Amino acid sequence: MLKIHQLEAGYGKVHVLHSISLHVPKGQVVTLIGSNGAGKTTTMRAISGMIKPSAGEITLNGHPIHGKESNQIAKLGIAHSPEGRRVFATMSVTDNLILGAFPRLTGSRPKGDVSADLEKAMELFPRLKERRQQLAGTLSGGEQQMLAMARAVMLNPDVILLDEPSMGLAPILVEEVFKIIARLKQEGMTMLLVEQFAAAALNVADYGYVLENGRISVHGPAQQLKTDPAVIAAYLGGGGTSH
Amino acid sequence: MTMRAHSSSWAAVVWVLAVLIPLAIPNPYYIHLVETIMIYSILLFGLDIVVGYTGQVSLGHAGLFGIGAYTAGVMFMKLSASVWFILPTSIAVTAVFGAILALPALRVSGPYLAMVTLAFGTIIQILINEMTFLTEGPLGIKIAKPVLWGEKLTEREFYWLVCVILGLALIFVHRVLRSHLGRAFEALKGSPIASDCMGVSVYRYKVYAFVVSAGLAGLAGSLYAYSEQYISPNTYNFELTVLFLLATIMGGRKTRSGAIIGATIIVMLPKLLDDIELFRWVASTAAVVIAVGAVIGLQKKFTTPKAVIIPVVGTLALAAFSYQLKNMTDWRLSIFGLMILFVVYYLQDGIVGFISKLGHLGEVESTSLRETDSVQASSDVAHPSTALGQNRNHAVSAVSATVPHSIILSAQSVLMQFGGLKAINDVNLVIKRGEIHGLIGPNGSGKSTMMNVLTGIYIPSAGQIEFNGQSVVGRSSSDIALSGIARTFQNVQLFGDMSVLQNVLVGLHHSFESPLWNVALHAPSYLKEEMQANARAHDLLEFVGLDALSNELAHNLPYGKQRLLEIARALALNPQLLLLDEPAAGLTAPDIKELIAYIRKIRDSGVTIILIEHHMDVVMGICDTVSVLDFGQKIAEGKPAEVQANEKVITAYLGGSSTTEKVQ
Repeated sequence: MLKIHQLEAGYGKVHVLHSISLHVPKGQVVTLIGSNGAGKTTTMRAISGMIKPSAGEITLNGHPIHGKESNQIAKLGIAHSPEGRRVFATMSVTDNLILGAFPRLTGSRPKGDVSADLEKAMELFPRLKERRQQLAGTLSGGEQQMLAMARAVMLNPDVILLDEPSMGLAPILVEEVFKIIARLKQEGMTMLLVEQFAAAALNVADYGYVLENGRISVHGPAQQLKTDPAVIAAYLGGGGTSH
Repeated sequence: MTMRAHSSSWAAVVWVLAVLIPLAIPNPYYIHLVETIMIYSILLFGLDIVVGYTGQVSLGHAGLFGIGAYTAGVMFMKLSASVWFILPTSIAVTAVFGAILALPALRVSGPYLAMVTLAFGTIIQILINEMTFLTEGPLGIKIAKPVLWGEKLTEREFYWLVCVILGLALIFVHRVLRSHLGRAFEALKGSPIASDCMGVSVYRYKVYAFVVSAGLAGLAGSLYAYSEQYISPNTYNFELTVLFLLATIMGGRKTRSGAIIGATIIVMLPKLLDDIELFRWVASTAAVVIAVGAVIGLQKKFTTPKAVIIPVVGTLALAAFSYQLKNMTDWRLSIFGLMILFVVYYLQDGIVGFISKLGHLGEVESTSLRETDSVQASSDVAHPSTALGQNRNHAVSAVSATVPHSIILSAQSVLMQFGGLKAINDVNLVIKRGEIHGLIGPNGSGKSTMMNVLTGIYIPSAGQIEFNGQSVVGRSSSDIALSGIARTFQNVQLFGDMSVLQNVLVGLHHSFESPLWNVALHAPSYLKEEMQANARAHDLLEFVGLDALSNELAHNLPYGKQRLLEIARALALNPQLLLLDEPAAGLTAPDIKELIAYIRKIRDSGVTIILIEHHMDVVMGICDTVSVLDFGQKIAEGKPAEVQANEKVITAYLGGSSTTEKVQ
């Protein structure tokens, strides 16, 4: 569904991504793991058009999308739930969600029934239903994360890009976020997940890519990566030593 | 260093050329034009401090310019004072008005500040007009060229005097902006909250910037009075203030060459538009240059056809139009407006910014960040202990714990109320010296609010907070920071447009004692301070493993490294108490291991730490005591193991099983 071929990108003078190729098949969850500065967020930003790739191809359902503006890419069906949530702080929860559907209303994809989808999203995230009239800026960090994810779902997208959904959340909420990801997967949603909790990400994912210094060093089925000694040493080790 | 030497030798060459102009072109008209450019440049150096560095808007600089001119005029008329007396007095009087202009900037910003400063400028103009007993009102004041050593200066000699003063002003501004003062100005723009928490008082340095800026405007104003030999209130109007702002934007912010180019544009452009022959020539040249530039750009793939079509067609059309025109008078203002629109739209970094960007395009796109990254990462992962080798111990030179386990900070019944919401409700917190004290709790439970209360960003609605036995309630953030509490921020608050090294140097601001004149004169005491601060900053960067990236802009760093930089910057304050707000957020397991080692190292050097964190392996691994907040109240406190077993904590925060455990 989403294919990246030999992508190169960076910021100003700093070249971050070196010939990245990856594939997110329909209905699957693919995770991108790697240490800080490896280029995970940069990959996400390049896909959703927030930075322009300097070389390479990105295609959605076979159509090239690289070089297009972010708003066009959203209209084509890629929803980005960004690192750090970025909800519209001075708007209500409901308005945030309706805005999530905005690219549907102006794009060429089927418009669907926004109010029905709104109800569905609220069902998926009951906490948001409780707080539907509240301003997004007054939500706690965990609720804002759910709102960012729900807003992405509202696009009715072909692919959701989830960037660090568990960052800065209490352990109990991290669990909840991963439950929601699992549920979205059950419903057939295609997702590309960037996550520092590599172990949790590999648990929920079908396939994984390991990004090292802007290059993909290892990739394979998630189950296989989980047992790869190199991956364990570099990305899984050191976590969960508390018990 | 080479860049610096390069630009100063360029400046010297241009300055010498300017000095030689009267010898080459004896026409007094042109000499006077260049003189005006130089006088405006002095003012623009000052305006750039406010606009480019501190990021404020000022539409009051024409007013300040007028105050400088009229101080000179009144002194000359009423007291027949000498130039030696008039120039310093103009600077001083205008600087005082600069402080007044700064007052609104402390409360408002953006368009509001623009309006307030605009009102200031208008009031000044009206006052000059109305205070006839002092200023002669609309009649204006006549001034003779200054007398130096008994001789009245000729036009040409006065020109050279302006040259000398411009040179001095350039050196002064350049040195001040490269010093800790300039860094303080820039830090205000990058993040006011972080500046305050680094002991750089936003209040103080905003006023400071306006005062220095106004002093330069006053100097320029008094020179202008001598240059024109006649001043009247109408000169210092709204149009002039907008021109000054435009010059800063068009020339390029944060550069001295930009100020000079900007001054040249605002002085020359109206003249250029007076003469149709000259205008035709310039319009055709611009069209050719832009067309050639576009072709080269397209060939080398710097740009796309879509991006260059409008400028190319626009300049060609302007050139064609210039040959159609019979006379300029009707079209002057429209063309002037169009050119401004064009520059502001296409050259947002100004002309100097645009040229330096072109220069960078030619360079090989190096991957300094990645290369050093990999070296760093591999060495750190392989030898986590050597990464924090012995030689770095001295980097964190905290005041050693004189009385271990004495109480460093105590908060009693702290209440923080926002409207009806009690973000912190009757919380007691006692932090023992030398400990790592964890603060955990669900999102929105009041942890970050607590940090903000402790660092003076919020003043608690009720309760007592004592640090080293002294109350911190009601003291300013910068004051608290200087007394020994440093912090990092949950949502990283770096000075993004400053280099990694400069960020740490802002943290070291407290180590500078040199006043303005020592900085301007490069007094040995100042140079020594700067050298020591640089060495210390490099040590701190080495401590967190960022030394190789010291020249990179802070916002180019990946997230995890930004967090480490915040820690280095906080350590620069030599704190006794360090508040870390979610330092591990966004870090992967190996990075977290490294972070734990850093935190331990910091504690071992005698710094007490309060740690907010959601990664339980970090909290449970290194904290001596853990306090748990929920809905603004403390629900548990004790040793990590005790807290972890607490039913209330499990229900509110930890959940049935910790995530890390579940996935393994």
